[in-house]
Amino acid sequence: MLPADCSRRLVAELQGALDACAQRQLQLEQSLRVCRRLLQAWEPTGTWAWEPPPEPETNEEDPLPACTPSPQDLKELEFLTQALEKAVRVRRGITKAGERNKAPSLKSGSFVTSPGTTASTPPQPPGQAGGHASDTRPTKGLRQTTVPAKGRPERWLPSGRDRTRVGIGARAPRPGAGLRNQHMAPSAAPQAPEAFTLKEKGHLLRLPAAFRKAASQNLRLWVQLSSLQTSDSMDAAAAKTQFLQNMQTASGGSQPRLSAAEVEAEARRLRKACSLLRLRVRKELSAAPVDWMQEYRCLLTLEGLQAMVGQCLQRLQELRAAPRSCRPWRPSSYEWPCWTSRSTWKRCFWKRRWGCNRGLQR
Amino acid sequence: MRGRRVDPAAGARAGALPEAIAALSRSLPSGPSPEIFRRAKFDRPDATSALWQLLFRVLSPLPAGSALASIALEVQARLVKSALCSQGYPRLALAQLPEDGSQGSRELLLALSWLLARGPVPEQMLAQTRVPLGDEMTVCQCDALASLGPPAPHMETEGPVDVRHVQWLMGKLRFRWRQLVSSQQEQCALLSKIHLYTHGCHSDQSLGHLSVTEAEMLRDPEGGQQVSGVGAAQNLDLAYPKGLHFCTPGMGPRTFWNDLWLVCEQPGLLPGDWAAPLDPGGASACSLLFPLRVLLRTLEQENRRLEAVLAWRRTELVFWQWMDTVLGTCAPEAPAAASQPTFLPWVPECGDGELELVVRELQTLEEELREAAERRRVAWEAKARGCGRGPEWSATRRASQETVEKELGALQRRWEQDSGPAQAHGPHRLVRREDGAAGDRDLRAAELIRTLRSQEACLEAMLHQLQGQCRQELARVAGALPGLIWIPPPGR
Repeated sequence: MLPADCSRRLVAELQGALDACAQRQLQLEQSLRVCRRLLQAWEPTGTWAWEPPPEPETNEEDPLPACTPSPQDLKELEFLTQALEKAVRVRRGITKAGERNKAPSLKSGSFVTSPGTTASTPPQPPGQAGGHASDTRPTKGLRQTTVPAKGRPERWLPSGRDRTRVGIGARAPRPGAGLRNQHMAPSAAPQAPEAFTLKEKGHLLRLPAAFRKAASQNLRLWVQLSSLQTSDSMDAAAAKTQFLQNMQTASGGSQPRLSAAEVEAEARRLRKACSLLRLRVRKELSAAPVDWMQEYRCLLTLEGLQAMVGQCLQRLQELRAAPRSCRPWRPSSYEWPCWTSRSTWKRCFWKRRWGCNRGLQR
Repeated sequence: MRGRRVDPAAGARAGALPEAIAALSRSLPSGPSPEIFRRAKFDRPDATSALWQLLFRVLSPLPAGSALASIALEVQARLVKSALCSQGYPRLALAQLPEDGSQGSRELLLALSWLLARGPVPEQMLAQTRVPLGDEMTVCQCDALASLGPPAPHMETEGPVDVRHVQWLMGKLRFRWRQLVSSQQEQCALLSKIHLYTHGCHSDQSLGHLSVTEAEMLRDPEGGQQVSGVGAAQNLDLAYPKGLHFCTPGMGPRTFWNDLWLVCEQPGLLPGDWAAPLDPGGASACSLLFPLRVLLRTLEQENRRLEAVLAWRRTELVFWQWMDTVLGTCAPEAPAAASQPTFLPWVPECGDGELELVVRELQTLEEELREAAERRRVAWEAKARGCGRGPEWSATRRASQETVEKELGALQRRWEQDSGPAQAHGPHRLVRREDGAAGDRDLRAAELIRTLRSQEACLEAMLHQLQGQCRQELARVAGALPGLIWIPPPGR
């Protein structure tokens, strides 16, 4: 049987380590669940009211206001359509055509003919859409393709089952992108049987513009803050020190009291010193000097160690005797559950307050 | 303000003070209005309760949450007093304030300023409630050590314990470690896949790929599918986002760590600034799953507060000058008599017991050393008298002395230096990068692992040494008892 005090410490340490492990395990399992779900096929949640993200849809980079597209864009569109048709042909050869879900229950933007959706339905006049409807019809037969992966520089998102991704992702920064998206989307409307997986289409994701703006501003502000910290204004620092000193003298004490944290830190250091010293002493005492020089050195080491031990002891006595502030205020985790209900908390509190009479500093 | 009306030059500062106070109140979470500050200077009672609550918020180790709001004012006041006391707050008038919030606003204002002068309080509070957008990991051991701290006494009055119980606990612990390791390996593999698959789609070029939070937000912007079934959380509970630590460096496949960088997104944090929140149940890591609009709102709130903190830092000089005048209006206190505060709400047992232990050990060590050193000194002197005293003799002696001094100096440095070279603190974001472009505070995961491994090797060496010494000691003790056969357990 182990002696009482050391066994209590041992068991407490082990129990604490076990609890910490259990907590970590819980956290890990939760994040594992999240990660696993991300790597599976993403299901659309039915509750999506598919709408544009909070920011107004106007693409800053979209230089097309409500006017007719330029011939340049039309030509590009032509190329794009041809490429898509080719892709469809290739795909038809590979896969069987799945069902075309002609009527996804989405709020469609400006399309009269196609039931498909546009991701970024920019506020373009319906006339424009109507005018190009004929162009888009041949592309309606398109499956969900991985055309972008085949070398298209701008990334857009396949629509279909993952409608919100379209909504979120179609922020192609190229001019005329808005237009393209408008026409891409109906072509992608026919539902492909495959769902969205991170593996295949992860690189097509795009963060919403509002989020990006907020996040970049956030990062910029943090960087500014840190640079401000490092180059702290001398005046302010001096004013603060002066204020602290004034506080100290106004309350009559010439020497600031040691805070509990400092005492703890010092105690920790001394504990480490003790263990290191002990190791060293054992080593020296068990060493068998061969010649007189080694013997001399051993002797000197022992005497040096003795002096160091004396110093540590002195420091410890000083710490114990110094007027300390209260013990560190760190309610341990097992006390917090008491907070959940006021009544139990009060019970716990009053019990401690009157149960353990720790009023005065030792 | 009296001072300012008298001093004409302060007219220029007249506008700066309200601005500074306004910035301060915006930068603190649920900060009181600037009017409260003004009233507190004149010690008006109506400013008291707001200041108690603010101080409680600042000093409480818990992150903000609904649990805090339901605590009564007297309780908050008591906790504030105790916390300030433990930090070494000099003024005694605070300890004597009534806890019902009826008076003492000027004292509270002084206490708040004292805290503000000692550390970057607004920044610390921001760091506590920061929204982690990336996959976060901490590089320092601060939170791990802090949570170990004084062990919670599960069994207050346990008698002597059978060593087999301890062995059983140890075995259980090893098993849990193994479980953790395998979970972490899986986590590393999954993270690495997610990073790989989303490569190239982040708008920020230096990041390059999405984090789990961002991917999850894209997958489920409404937040309708919560893991724990909490449902669409409308109010973002910022209490426990830091509960989600993904990995421990080094665990898991090496391929995961090779190209990994730890990007510091909160540069300038010192050990005290970032405190891991006490996580009672660990049950709220599901707050990771943010609906998009809630996340946006929180981000924007954080941006506003960051701007306020920046404004505060620019204008704070005026505030300190004003606080000096406030201090001047208080009567000077008598020097601290023997009267210590007589309240200690919940003070876990710690500190003194540990010190006692160390003192005892050091005392036994001192005894042993004294005896051994004396013995050897006597023996040495006797031997040395026999040998000659030449110049090379004294030279050798001096050389030996220097060597010994150097060794002992190195030994002392080992415990006096708390930590290694300016270690980074706080959470870092995991980013996978191939090239070497990095911010000046970014760490390479591989280097971090190397450092940790060398620390581990040191600790292992110490452990082996201790074990060896224990074995020797046991053998010696057992040898002294005739007829006892000592079979040491199989060494590991």
